[in-house]
Amino acid sequence: MAKSILEVKGIKLAFGGVQAIDDCSFHIEEGTITALIGPNGAGKSTMVNVISGTYRPDEGHVILDGKDVTRMPNYVRAQHGLLRTFQISREFANLTVLENLLVVRQGQVGESLFGALFRAKRWQEQTKELVAEANDILNTFGLYRLRNEYAGNLSGGQKRLVELARAVMAKPRLLLLDEPMAGVTPALIERLGHHIVELNRELGVTFVLVEHNLDVVEKICSRVVVMALGKQLADGTLAELRSNQAVIDAYLGGGARERVGS
Amino acid sequence: MTLILGYVATLLVTFFTYNIFVIGLNIQFGYAGILNFTVITFMAFGAYFYAVFVMPHADNSSQVFYILGLHWPWPLAMLAGIVASGALGYLVGLIALKRLRSDYLAIVTLATGTLVYGLFGNNNKLFDGWSGLFNVNQPFQSVATNHPNEFSWIFVVFSGVVMLVVWLFANRLYASPLGRSMRAIREDQDVVDSFGKNSFKVRMLAMVIGSVIVGIGGVLTIQYIGALSPAGWTTGETFVVWAALLVGGRANNLGAIVGSLLVAVIFNEATRYIPQVPSHPNLIPNLRNVIIGGLVILSIWFRPQGVVPEKKASFLEVPLVDKYAQGFPGEEPGGTLSPAASEA
Ligand SMILES: Nc1ncnc2c1ncn2[C@@H]1O[C@H](COP(=O)(O)OP(=O)(O)OP(=O)(O)O)[C@@H](O)[C@H]1O
Ligand SMILES: [Mg+2]
Repeated sequence: MAKSILEVKGIKLAFGGVQAIDDCSFHIEEGTITALIGPNGAGKSTMVNVISGTYRPDEGHVILDGKDVTRMPNYVRAQHGLLRTFQISREFANLTVLENLLVVRQGQVGESLFGALFRAKRWQEQTKELVAEANDILNTFGLYRLRNEYAGNLSGGQKRLVELARAVMAKPRLLLLDEPMAGVTPALIERLGHHIVELNRELGVTFVLVEHNLDVVEKICSRVVVMALGKQLADGTLAELRSNQAVIDAYLGGGARERVGS
Repeated sequence: MTLILGYVATLLVTFFTYNIFVIGLNIQFGYAGILNFTVITFMAFGAYFYAVFVMPHADNSSQVFYILGLHWPWPLAMLAGIVASGALGYLVGLIALKRLRSDYLAIVTLATGTLVYGLFGNNNKLFDGWSGLFNVNQPFQSVATNHPNEFSWIFVVFSGVVMLVVWLFANRLYASPLGRSMRAIREDQDVVDSFGKNSFKVRMLAMVIGSVIVGIGGVLTIQYIGALSPAGWTTGETFVVWAALLVGGRANNLGAIVGSLLVAVIFNEATRYIPQVPSHPNLIPNLRNVIIGGLVILSIWFRPQGVVPEKKASFLEVPLVDKYAQGFPGEEPGGTLSPAASEA
């Protein structure tokens, strides 16, 4: 069995009276694309926030590369290569698309006050290299000709692409995508899926993908974790889950039953 | 002639010091999105601390009281004033930047301003209370002895050079990766955090740098006038600095300069020379605020980005061949990249 890059163990988190996550555990293997599915309100986004360190759980542990990071602030986790995107696009609206990418690369010389003031030659050179790198990424995502637009002026679909391109620029090892395909056209869903698979194959990025669209899950995810009512309900391949009665009842009940059962 | 030359010198010094205030606020608000509603308190901190470091021990027989009175040489006292202002910025940052969102931060700055104002005014042992400090040692006194305007013009050059240094510093900061991080934080702080940057630290840096710069302006103010009392740093003065930044254009230091010229020098100064109405002594100062308020409203209405808006970033780059200039295979022309097609 491949090594776990991420493990969550016994996570509990309540918002007031709402037990958003209720003793949830699962693990993610390195180099895979894993789907995290579940009905609305199952706690998927909350789990993404717990893993990335935006929320601190009431109980339980988040383990990254075998190391307990439960008490580590989100920006430090990100420095270890654990990155995430947001369910609603959160581009830097008044920065250009290109700048949206430039800003997220870590370890730039000009990020300290001293470096910014006294090592201008060095960061100017570095910025030039990063611009070339970012343009390459933007070209792959079909955003090249929009690079000098303010990100806030882009369409909803373009913003989803920027969100993913920006994450790529940050060189993730483990990337949590919270419904990257929500509210985009079928053609764009196809492309986003294609980019994700490519990043996984070529750069070895591990993905956790929160997704409602089971066709996408079927196509690109090798394993599926199902959450319901804040708990981990089951995991396995989508084919295995189709015959799992608990999953069908909890998640796929009603109209979704036929879609999955078919 | 002497009178006019002296007046022009004063206008220039006013212009330069306001530039410095507005650039300081621009780094806080224009770059990093920090709402500092008590800019002028940092000016006063710089000025007062310069004064008590540069002046000799308080002569209590004259009923003037102030702390320290160390009689340091003016460059060192200047440094002390700047450090004091930066330290206040750090303190306010510690209280407000760690947990609070921007609107609460604004309230904390307002509260700080009111607190400091009340304390410095009512406690006459700190900085001589409401009467304030006067006869504050001015720099260049040993060289400027011949003519009343000589000091003024030496000071024009001095404050101009200081302003130039601040301007170059601010522009380099803006263009640097650190400046870009600040602007990203202005747009969405949480996202910056989730990409591995300690946004608290970066915001704190912007807060302290801004406070230091405003403090520099404060030191220059008291060096030039030689006196400062609480009447000289009321909340209205913060309003003038904000008005200059908003009218001129935030996140662009050229805008800061245009704004200080328009608001702080032309409007502010011009209204000073309207003759007083003897029966209503407060009419003119109040009218001044009304006029500046009107200017802000007009500018936000008609030109929300300010006279000189933020510049769009551009980079030297090697052009690429756009792989998807024709859209994507299997998609309609324009495809997913036409706004209508991909709107959620
Ligand atoms: N910040 C919050 N404050 C209070 N309650 C919250 C908060 N965030 C989530 N919840 C609640 O926690 C539960 C889980 O929400 P969460 O957003 O994690 O669900 P989800 O699985 O992502 O759903 P969806 O598929 O609709 O995105 C819901 O009942 C939600 O109302
Ligand atoms: Mg969600």
